[in-house]
This record gives sequence, C-alpha cells and structure tokens, in this order.
Amino acid sequence: MLKTRREMLQTMSAGFGAVGMADVLSGATTHFPPKAKHFIFLFLNGGPSQVDTFDPKPMLQKMHGKPSPSGNLKTERKTGTLLGSPFKFQKYGKSGIEVSEIFAKTGACIDEFAVIRSMHVERPNHEPSLFTWNCGVPLPGRPSFGSWLSYGLGSINKNLPGFVVMCPGIPTVGPQLWTSAFLPAAHQGVHIKNDEKTDQLIPYIAPQRSAETQRRQIDLLAKLNHMRPDDPEINNSIESMEVAYRMQSEAPQVFDLAKETEATRAKYGNTNFGRGCLMARRMIEKGVRTVQIYFGNFQPWDNHDDIMRHKVLAAEADPAIAALIEDLKQRGLLDETVVLVGGEFGRTPSVEVSGLVNVQNGRDHNNHGFSMLVAGGGFKGGTVYGATDEFGFKAVEKPVHPHDLQATILNQMGIDHTKLTYRYSGRDFRLTDVEGTVIRDILA
Amino acid sequence: MFMMRILRPLALLCAASAWGADSPAEFFELKVRPVLAKNCFSCHTQSKMGGLEMASRESLLKGGKSGAAIVSGKPEESLLMKAVSFEHERLKMPPNGAKLADEEIASLREWIKNGAVWPDAPSAAKSKEYVLRPEQKAYWAFQPVKMPQPPVVKKVAWPKTPVDRFILAKLEQNGITPNAPASPTALLRRVTYDLTGLPPTPQETDAFLADPSADAYRKVVDRLLASKRYGERWGRFWLDIARYSDDKLNSTMEEPAPNAFRYRDWVVDSFNADMPYDTFVKAQLAADHMNDPKLLPALGMYGLSPEFQDDRVDVTTRGFLALTVACAQCHDHKFDPIPTKDYYSLLGIFNNSQYKEYPLAAKDVVSTYEVKKKRADDEEKSMKDFLQRQGDELAFVLAHRTKDYLLAAFGRGPKDGLDPTGLDSETLERWRKYVKRKEHDHPYLAKMVAAKDGDGLEKLAQEFESLALTVNREKKEIDEKNNITLGGSQKRGDLSQANLASLERDKYFLWRDLYGAGGVMFYGDKKIDRFLSGEWKRHLDMMRANLETDKKAVPEKFPFLHALADKEKLNKQKIHVRGNAGTLGDEAPAGFLTVLCDDNQPKPFSKGSGRLELAESIASKQNPLTARVMVNRLWQWHFGDGIVRTTSNFGVLGEKPSHPELLDYLAAKFMESGWSMKAMHREILLSAVYQQGNAENPVFAVKDPDNRLLWKFNRKRLDAEALRDSMLYVAGTLDEAPAGQAKPIDETNHKRTLYGYISRKKLDNLLTLFDFPNPNQTSEQRVATNVPLQRLFLLNSPIMLNVVKEMVKRLEATPEHRRIEETYRLLFSRAPKPAERQLGDSYVARGADAWPEYLQVLLSSNEFLHVN
Repeated sequence: MLKTRREMLQTMSAGFGAVGMADVLSGATTHFPPKAKHFIFLFLNGGPSQVDTFDPKPMLQKMHGKPSPSGNLKTERKTGTLLGSPFKFQKYGKSGIEVSEIFAKTGACIDEFAVIRSMHVERPNHEPSLFTWNCGVPLPGRPSFGSWLSYGLGSINKNLPGFVVMCPGIPTVGPQLWTSAFLPAAHQGVHIKNDEKTDQLIPYIAPQRSAETQRRQIDLLAKLNHMRPDDPEINNSIESMEVAYRMQSEAPQVFDLAKETEATRAKYGNTNFGRGCLMARRMIEKGVRTVQIYFGNFQPWDNHDDIMRHKVLAAEADPAIAALIEDLKQRGLLDETVVLVGGEFGRTPSVEVSGLVNVQNGRDHNNHGFSMLVAGGGFKGGTVYGATDEFGFKAVEKPVHPHDLQATILNQMGIDHTKLTYRYSGRDFRLTDVEGTVIRDILA
Repeated sequence: MFMMRILRPLALLCAASAWGADSPAEFFELKVRPVLAKNCFSCHTQSKMGGLEMASRESLLKGGKSGAAIVSGKPEESLLMKAVSFEHERLKMPPNGAKLADEEIASLREWIKNGAVWPDAPSAAKSKEYVLRPEQKAYWAFQPVKMPQPPVVKKVAWPKTPVDRFILAKLEQNGITPNAPASPTALLRRVTYDLTGLPPTPQETDAFLADPSADAYRKVVDRLLASKRYGERWGRFWLDIARYSDDKLNSTMEEPAPNAFRYRDWVVDSFNADMPYDTFVKAQLAADHMNDPKLLPALGMYGLSPEFQDDRVDVTTRGFLALTVACAQCHDHKFDPIPTKDYYSLLGIFNNSQYKEYPLAAKDVVSTYEVKKKRADDEEKSMKDFLQRQGDELAFVLAHRTKDYLLAAFGRGPKDGLDPTGLDSETLERWRKYVKRKEHDHPYLAKMVAAKDGDGLEKLAQEFESLALTVNREKKEIDEKNNITLGGSQKRGDLSQANLASLERDKYFLWRDLYGAGGVMFYGDKKIDRFLSGEWKRHLDMMRANLETDKKAVPEKFPFLHALADKEKLNKQKIHVRGNAGTLGDEAPAGFLTVLCDDNQPKPFSKGSGRLELAESIASKQNPLTARVMVNRLWQWHFGDGIVRTTSNFGVLGEKPSHPELLDYLAAKFMESGWSMKAMHREILLSAVYQQGNAENPVFAVKDPDNRLLWKFNRKRLDAEALRDSMLYVAGTLDEAPAGQAKPIDETNHKRTLYGYISRKKLDNLLTLFDFPNPNQTSEQRVATNVPLQRLFLLNSPIMLNVVKEMVKRLEATPEHRRIEETYRLLFSRAPKPAERQLGDSYVARGADAWPEYLQVLLSSNEFLHVN
C-alpha cells in the first residue's frame, strides 16, 4: 500500500529508535559515502581564549601593556591595552603545532587535530553565538545540530537515543540548544546530568514491573492491536514497544562508569567533564550518533576578570580531551567519529577594563577571531588552518564561520548540507541556513 | 536553498542577433543586465548570498566568499562563467539546476571578455522605489473574498450541506466516491474528542444510540459546543499560534510569568463565549485602545512575547495573516510582495509599544502594596549600608594588627616579634586557615610560607601588613575615582562601556582575600554583632526589628496582567539596512502591508503607536487574508490538514488551496455570521464529509495518497493534552475546577493538561514526548510521532501507573464478570468483541495483579491512542 504523506513523515522522522530504518548509514540514504558515523561536540562553554590556548601570538607578548596599534575591535565590553598570555607555548608532535602549556596533554595528540585559527561569529554575546553553533541561526526556534543528524541519518542503535547532551546542570540558554524545534520531537537531544543515577538518565526508563510481566503485557497488546482493522500504525506501535522494552535493560548500562577500570577513570579525571568524556566514549561504542558534552553549568570559560582561571579549567579539560582521543583511536573509532572542541567564541587580546570586572587581568568576548579543534572522521590531523591578525584579535586569513564547519562536518557524515532540509511553514529549512562552504583543505 | 524555486531562467525575448549592440554600455543593458536581473539579483544584490553583491563592476571584481566573480577580459578565469556553465565543482548557478540558455552564457562571456563594462545608471541604482508587479497583486490570496456558488454534483443524495458539494464535485472530477458514513459510535467519539478533547462517556454513547430523532447528531454538536470543555480544547489550538508560555526564556535562570494564565484563560473563555473573531483579533493587538477592561487580558499575546527582535511582527503576520513578513527584515521578501519597508513599518508599531503590567486590584490596594514594598526595600538598603560601613571600619582596625595575626597564624611567638595581646580568636582562626591554603592567587605570602627560623619573619610580616593597609587605601581611591568616571551610574550598559581603573591583579586578589566578602577580615550581617556595642548595637537591632516588621507588612503582590501600552514618547522607525541596526535607512512610517492597501499605498497610521489601526486593518472584512486564514485553521484542526496545508504561510512558497472555492465559501460565511467560530464549527461538523468513515480504499489511495480530496476521514493520534486528559478522565480523577496559575504536570496534578506549566526554557517531559510545539515561536501544526520513548511513558511513568491504580478503584463497584465490558465502554465507547473478551478473561485469570496490568495494556493500545 502506498504511504500517505503523513505516514511517510512519521516513518522518516522516527530517527530515535526509528522503525524500519535501523541502519541508514549503509549508504543508500546519505548523499555520498560517509567518512564518519558519529559526532562528539566538546563544548567549552563561556568562550575560551584563543591566545592562551591554541593561537600563540609573539607580537602580543612583545606589546604587552601597550595599546593595540590598530585599535581594539568592538566587543561586548570596553577593553584596554594588550594583555600578553601568562602561559607558555611550545611545539608538539610531528606537525610542530604550538599549543599552550595549559593544554599539554591535548598538545601531545595535536597531530590528530586540525586546528582552525580563523573562526568568527556575528555577535560578541553568549546567547546568539550559542544558538549559531548549535542551531545555525542566532535565535531560538531552529533544530539543533544533533537533531538534524538524528533526523538525517537515523539511529545506529535503536535501543539508545541518537543524540545525548551532557552537562552537570544546564549551560547558558539551556534546553533550547538541543531542541528539535519543528523536527519531530524524537530527534530532540536527551539531556543527561553527568552525576545522575543511571536509571534516571532517560525519562521513564526504570522498569516498574518485572521483565516477565512486561513481556506478557506487550504480547497481549500486540494481539489486541492486530485485531484493529485498517490501522496503518499497528506495526510501528508494536515495533516501538519492543524497542522500549529492550532499552530498559540496555541503556542504563552504557552510563555505568563502574564498568571501567580505575586507571581509565583516572586518565579522564574524576571531574564532571572527565566523566562526561568517558561516557561519550562508551556511548559512541554503543552506537549513539551524536554526543555533546558541555564543560559545565552556565559559562565556566567566561573569564572576564582573570585569565589565570583558564589554568584551572584547562586542568579539567585537557586530560579528558586527550584521553578521549587516545581511547577512540585505540578502538579504531576515531576514524569514524568527528570530535569538535571549542566554545561559542574567543576572547580579546586586550584586557577588559569595564565596570563589570573587579580586576583587570581578563579578556572580553571576542567574536572576531578564535580557534576550534577538530579531529577524527576524515579530518586532516596536524594541520593549522587560517590565521588571526598579529595580536589574535580578528580572523584575517581564510575566515571560517560555524556554518562552514557545520557544512564540513555534515559532509564527512555523508550529507550535502544544502540538501538536508525540512519543509516547515512553506519553507525548506537547514542547519546552515543559506550559508556554509565545505572546507576541503582540512579534510584528509 | 530556499531561493531555488523561482530562479528559472527565462528565454531571452529576442534572438541575440536581432540586436545590434553599438556600445559596451548598450550591450550590457540589452544582453547582460536582463540575464543578471532575472537570474542573479534576487540573491546577489541586497541579500548578498555567499557574500557576493552583483551591483556594479567593482562588486563583481571584489567577489564574495569564493573569491572574485569575474576577471576582467578573462572569461575563462572568471568564477561567474564557471558557475553559470556548471563547470565549477560546487557553484552551479542558478542553484535550481536550470542552466542558462547557451545564448545567455555566450553574452556573459562576451561581456567579460570586453572588459565587463557596467555603466553607472544613477536613476536605477539610486531608486529604492519598491515595484509591486501586477502578477504579484493578482496572486490568489490577495483577491477579495467572494461568495462562490456551490457546484453542481451528480450524486445529489450525498451532500448534507454546501460544504459537501465543493468536496464532492472534486471527488467526482477525479472518479473517486466518498467513504460510507462512520458508525454512530465512531462518529460520537470523533466529534466528542474533536470539540472537547475527551471521549464520550458510556451514558452519552447510550443516549446517542437511543435517540431516534433526525437531529440527534445536531443536538450532540450543540451540547458539545456549549460545554466549557470546548474552549479548553479549542483555546489551546490558538495558544499554539500565540506561542503561549508560563515563563520567559531567560538564559540563566527560571523566570516565571506569574499572571500568564490570565491570558490563557481569556482565550479559553473567548472561545466558549463565541467571541466574534474580529474582536478576538483586535483585542489581542490593541485592547488598551478599546475601552473595555474585560478585553485587557488579551494583550498577553504580546505582553508575554519572548522578546526576540522579530517575534512580534512574526506572530502577527504569520498568526493572523499567514504571511512571513519577518523574512523581509534584511531584504525585500524573496517571493512575496513584501518590501523591507513593510517589515519596519510594523516593527515601529511594536517598538512604540511597551510592556506594561495592568493591576487587577483597587487603586488603594496597589498603592498600599507599593508604599509598603518601598518602605521595606529602603529599610533593607539602609541596613546594608550601615553594615558595610561598620564592616569597613572594623576591617581597617583589624588590618593594623596584621603582623601579629600573621605571626600567630604561623605559630610564632614573642621571640619573632609577636605581640599576642588582644588578638580576636575568630579572626586568628581565619588567618590560620588562610595561610594554610595550598595556593594563593597572589604571590605575597610565598616567602613567609617558605621561611625557616631566623629568616626575619617579623620583617616579612611587617611588610605584609603595610601592603595590606596600602591595598585597602588604594582600593578605596580607585573605587572613588571609578564612581566619578561613571557619574554615579550603576547601570549595566554604562558599566560595560566604561574605561575604568583597577588595582593590579595580584593586589586585587590580596584585597579580595582580606577584605572582600568572605575575606579574612570581613564581618557582615550577624557576624559583626559581637564587635558592636552601645548605640551602634542598639541601632542595628532597631533596624533589624524595623525591617522584619516592614517586610511582614508587605501584602502579597496584587494580581496583574502582562500587557502592552503605547510609549509616551513615540520614535520614528527607520529601516535597518540589510537587517543591521547600525545602518539606518529611510524612515518606515507606521502603516499596513503595501500589497493589502488600496492602490498599494499604505496610509500612515496616526493614533499613538498605530496598534489599533493595525488591528482594524487585520480584523477587516476588506482584508482578503484574515477570514481565509482562520477558517483554514479551523478546517485543519477538524480534519488534520488545512485546505491550504501551510496554514501560517499563504505566500508563494506556501501550498495552493486544494479547494479554493470552498475556502472562499467558508471565509464568506464566517464574515456573514459575524465572525462566529461556533457557526463555522456547525458548517463543518454537520457536513457529510466530516461524518464519513475512514475505511481504506486501495484504488483511491493510489489516486489521492494524501487524501487531499477527503474521500475518507483522517485517523488522528491523540495529542499530548488529549492523551493525558483522557487517561485522567476514564480513571475518574480529572479535576475540572478552575485551574488558575499553572502547575507542573506530574502525577499529583489532576487538572487538564492545558492548565499545566508551559515553559519556554524547559518544556515538560510528557509534552515534549508527545510532540507539543516549541513555545518560543508561533506553531501552526503538530506532528504525531510514534517512538519508543512514548512507549516508555506508557510502561513506566508515574502518571500512567497512577491512572491504572485509580481505574482499579473506579471499577471496584462493578461486578467482576462485567469489568472488562465496562472498561471497554469507558475507554473505547464500545463492547469488547468475543475474541477480545476471551483474551481479557484469560489474562485476568492469572490472579489479582493481572487486573491492573491488563488495564495498563488497554490504556496503551492503539485504539485508546487514536481517534477514528
């Protein structure tokens, strides 16, 4: 029987535990053969400073304390003279890419990363930039990155969500960052608090009756449903219930870190972000499509007043990033997993002098230029792409917008970003809005 | 991608050879500009897609993100040529895949080869006059609504109402016959769910089946429309459009809108009262200008706006007019005849309106509250100031003993210079803890920590003391200076843009550790008491007592409305060129949409913000959209799809109506009836097309797979509200008393789901699972998914288990052998078939636990979750 539009929509849209599309990645439904199956987005929320992490600027050090010769660009708040980085950079790996001492462990695996030093976004404010990275436009109301992937690619493991978001509580903006918006609700990110009990991770996952009883109930339900005439939803409903039944036992195990050795847990660090990264690896192993880890609640990297705070934050981020890369690689999963690391924007090379800070040793938001790291999934490791000006203020060479990176990541997952669209209210929407260019130079 | 549909290259009007082009300029005007204009300008002038602006030779040489568009004299190196000849890997222009004609490509090549001359055309370049083309004005949705004659049909016995003749005529044209009527039980269940969101009771079913009169069904429709449950169902549909929520999307904290429910209730009540739709529209936009206080809650539609820059224009135009005017904020609308100016004309109306809370209490109640609140706030502030002053003094005093505290903290004695007299034990304890910290954010203690006996500790401690006194003084001086710079302002905007001085980093952290809140020498509220005595202590105690009394005296805040009012000082709205607020263009006087005005000449609105005039322009019989849009929504909410399926977009990118005459018939009837929504429900519900069955037909399913012609009734899955409400209803625990302020939707809440807490920040789990729309923007249609997470809800949620428990209780009075039958009647409005009965009997026979398990199965069945 031909499917109606409505039925087609329902079938196509049921990515999470999608019925009848267990493994769309076998190739038929992607636009071209995918390099990667999974996507991990390690979001250092708040805006890490590029000149203190992955974008060394000798001129900035030399001119420390002096006004910028070309003047400061407009950012959210008033900034003053140039502020050299208190951290030392050194070359790492075969590529010799320079990385700050506070990211030494990440530096040790820098050959896995393409380091993009020419990122930019439109506004120096958290909310619009968070929306742009996560939903493709600076306003709420559009589906999130992970939702698009779930919608476009379906799930690999029907017993697990296709898109999981972890944060100890919630980041700035909150659940709107993992919304499915007008895409069917099944594609919404499942938000998990890193420290929650494992049986509360997915709503209503904890079984309230014995497996035996549930089995009996589900069998009866199937029989009763089959007695209905002309109901095109019967098979979907039955399959859906079977998946739910299995999820109850399988899903909580994925989040159980007690199954890892003490040494492994130590390697990631016994921190929120460390545990998040370790869970991310476990989820990828079990076939979750997209995992996003927010570094912490609110916006921890937003160090307006003292850039030395970066050292404390990096001490949590650095080992976890390195351990994740190492583990994925060791398991042969890095090739098929894109790992993106960075925040919503960077920070000014000039010191913030506004009345909103007490001490002038920090940096304001900088939307004009910042760095992102991307590894795995066919990205070219050990590469530096683009550059900021001599002080690290503005992307001047090969500027990259989040749309470009989104397009490139979709490309690696077998998707032409201009073709992954959803018609809503008479218009086709897509993650990259009307922009985005695949950056071929950072692909292997 | 969304520009692809109209970019269709048109064949040149004349063959290339027919034009002798004497000059390069003429060649450009005749051969090149028309090609660019038709194929490129819509994306590459104002809106600069891909960063490329095609406005001049210079802008082409400059190019966009992919580099220069042309290399003068070298077509073979020009990106433009590669793109139009589809030779470029990625850029194939126009992007719809319809390549330019060979002659057109040849002209472009020739033009670039000859230096790409682009003559200045001052008149054309500078003219910003928006030209509305006749074919745009002739678009179906902008034509006046005219009452059509219902068509002649062959199967004359089928139609019950004029609506049916429009439907049947189309079916007959396509060789399709309508379905047999639905069974009486199915029909009753359908119409009851449809109008109230709840199933019929067994008694209602019995009564309907037992009523032999010809108008039995009509009586049911009347009964349901008169029920207050009708407004609770249909009001909620409108709340989707109105992006209703009980909180604000605050990025860092919960921010409830405590009186939002008053707007929600107003909507529900208005549906129940059959408020004329034109009044309903006007009240939401401009009740503050309508001299009827009962209408004021309607302004919640805007008073509860999520406050994104384009929200209010978007919800107004998509919600009432099904036009996507917000698309025109950066450039003229790409498809519909909506110039950017129109967007700013509307935006100006809302920018000249501001959020206002209207108290719903007597004047003296309001003023009493305000006076008492202010008194408590003032008292609190003066106590804070007092504490701060005393704390500063105390710290200053203690700081002069820093050396001794430090030496004592390091366990030194008089031989190292310690004078132990009069040291305060708590302060000393704090110093001890402080010096023991693993790390300090400043370097000043490092030497002392590392010092051995005989290293001159006294001297180090003395130095530290001087430093401590210095930073205390310097901090005060800097604060003073900054306060002068700021002119005393503490506004966030002023603070963020001020160029201030500060202590240097290390000194600041020393200051913070010693004097800041939580610092070694910081004593705040309560803690400071033991240092105060005499008059000082008495004063503090008095202030505390007063504050407590004053706080208690503040009454609970009076109820109020989240609403709007015109600003006192009106501003002139200017166009933001390319959507950039930093680049202002021409003024956009408040007025209505160009295409909807006579002669395309909007008359400037002149009363206040212009909101009332806007409301009147929308809620007008002359407006071709308003009535059509609303009857189409009503149709969608009854049938699942609208006559125009894109119910909030009647523009070029929306879908065409499946039955244009029917749409006009309904729209005309709607206005004729005095904009009565209940009249429209009757028009629709009494028709044969509404009352037909939903049996499948393999032949028709091929001819009309989407059922656009309505040869069967569409089966619907219950939405989140109907599902939960029905569960509570059949369990006998639905609480239908007035709900008031929204409460979380958990197992202890028994109110209808529409009264649950709707959050923009974090939507409830149940609502999310069952496809409730995102309340951050207007939503026109719900999807219905069928996914495992929903099944987990049915298996394990406290709401479900609670409902099962309550059902067990409800059925206790029924004799055991009749319980299965009674359950079927409650849940499905019918008796079980023998095979179903048998399955039930054998399941239940397992023992006492089996009965609730069985009920849970029935509540999870497709029959319960769907309406036929």
